Amino acid sequence: MQRSSSEPPLSRVAISGEGDRLAFEGVLDIRTVSELKNALKGRLKQAKPRAVDLGSLSGLDTPGALFLRELRHKGVELTGIRAEHEALLELIGNLKAKPLEKPAAVPRWRELIIRLGKGADAALRDTIDLITFVGRAVSAIGYAVIHPRYLRPASISRQIAETGISALPIVGLMAVMISVVIGYQGVAQLRPYGGEDFTINLVAVSVLREMGVLITAIMVAGRSGAAFTAEIGVMKAREEIDAFTVMGMKPIEMLVVPRLLGLVITLPLLTFFSDVMGLLGGAMISQWLLNISPMQYVDRVHVAVHTNDLLVGLIKAPIFGFLIAIVGCMHGLRVKGSAESVGQDTTRAVVKAIFVVIVLDALFSVLFEKLGL
Amino acid sequence: MTTPTQKRREPIISARGIVNRFGKQQVHNKVSLDVFPGEILGIVGGSGSGKSVLLKTLTGLHRPDAGEVLLNGKAIDAVDDAQRAALIGVLFQQGALFSSLSVAQNIILPMREHTDLAVEDQEKIAAIKLELAGLPPDAAIKFPSELSGGMVKRVAFARALALDPRILFLDEPTSDLDPLTASGIDALIQQLNDSLDITVVIVTHDLNTLFTVCHRVAVLVDGKIIVDTLDNLMRCKQPWIREFLHGPRAQGALSARSRKHGNR
Repeated sequence: MQRSSSEPPLSRVAISGEGDRLAFEGVLDIRTVSELKNALKGRLKQAKPRAVDLGSLSGLDTPGALFLRELRHKGVELTGIRAEHEALLELIGNLKAKPLEKPAAVPRWRELIIRLGKGADAALRDTIDLITFVGRAVSAIGYAVIHPRYLRPASISRQIAETGISALPIVGLMAVMISVVIGYQGVAQLRPYGGEDFTINLVAVSVLREMGVLITAIMVAGRSGAAFTAEIGVMKAREEIDAFTVMGMKPIEMLVVPRLLGLVITLPLLTFFSDVMGLLGGAMISQWLLNISPMQYVDRVHVAVHTNDLLVGLIKAPIFGFLIAIVGCMHGLRVKGSAESVGQDTTRAVVKAIFVVIVLDALFSVLFEKLGL
Repeated sequence: MTTPTQKRREPIISARGIVNRFGKQQVHNKVSLDVFPGEILGIVGGSGSGKSVLLKTLTGLHRPDAGEVLLNGKAIDAVDDAQRAALIGVLFQQGALFSSLSVAQNIILPMREHTDLAVEDQEKIAAIKLELAGLPPDAAIKFPSELSGGMVKRVAFARALALDPRILFLDEPTSDLDPLTASGIDALIQQLNDSLDITVVIVTHDLNTLFTVCHRVAVLVDGKIIVDTLDNLMRCKQPWIREFLHGPRAQGALSARSRKHGNR
């Protein structure tokens, strides 16, 4: 046996001999080579060894052989090499053993600037890509609307089921929770002024105008936007997209249009559901914190809320849905060969979709304020 | 072809009565296999015959439904992780290189985790492993996504060799490679076996690898295993083995046995 492999952790190596003639005993392998190196350093201070006897070396592996090769290069003669070690020593001895190439070091400040430049470039390209993709998607939708044969209702309804119906429980729960949060904060802040009853106005208006649609859009961006990227991305990585193209089908028409239309239909419906659940959460809060019965609550909401509040919320939903689907599908089609790339693009798609949704929501707030809605 | 088995009769790894079931399908029915130090064993079988599962069982990645795997006479579950890593190296079919690490980092990682070698020593060792696997030094800074199929296999070889294992498991080492690169890999396997005395277990479909490299061959048929030298298997009456070893592709590989080149 080259190495006492039954109990590797017990392998030991020792130096014996005097003056410039030393001998190594035991097993010289990846675990013991550092130990030997350190021991030899101590010896080197006394006298430079001329020859090392390896006759009692019972085991040797490549790191050990590499170490012996270095000794040899320092002018140390290796004697008494066992027959079974010769092949290994020769193999290692004949290697060029060039040092590993290292990536060229870049100073910190330059790295910072390079990153900044790359980031800006990527942002520009992203924006151009997004605009181009919106154009392509809209033209594909237009084509499909004019030629209903390409509308694929089965595909659209499957998307509605996946992005809408199966999202109902989580969206409903989130809506209730958000109005509980707003309700608690409202009561705590308004009580010192004796206006805690206005909490109902606060909850109802903010849920209908903002929170309902925002929470739903964020949830859908995380759920369906990510799913779009991952689904299309895996298809891209497996060359399924190329297969579509080769067979004369347009990937945008097959994959993107149904998802886009699906989400544009789904998000307003989900938002409406989320509004209802949010108002329900408001009713719970009023009962708990304000001792206002559900019937009274309904009356109060009726006074506090205008139809406009509901519409302002709902009008944003299809736009958010469109953008979430656009970002998700665009990143899916951007995936390159590897599985890693699917993960990267999915993360980017979700971050970008949520970012776009929130920025747009802020713009809408300003716009509706100016319009007096 | 002489087998080193005659010299050393103590198996380095042995499977005893392995049973593996997936649902109703019984993949392995009391399969026993001994691998002896210094030999190159090929594992073959039709698609779905359980080659990969057997490999996973032998490396301790899959716990069989019955039976046990002994590594140096010790149950593989009882061997601690560091010790097992020092004894076993695995080359996965797709390479399984860590995609976030460069080639050099991939090879250094097991050394960094399991040994107390100085960083510059680790780098030196990684450099010779790369060279042993037949890669140029400038491959070190590349990332797995920048490598060709053959290079991925070679880097995976270098990483599997990082801790100087006694046994190397190779899952389809030559699949997806052009014939030239594939015979380069065959030569590499032989060289490692010759000079480093590494025991090699190869799961393969490649008849060239089987004919040119392997000392013994284990055939998985109908949940059973038949292990013998290739010459004896050539005379075997079992229908699948006959077809496998006497088919048109096998004839080509057989003639290549002497030339060690070509495909089909």
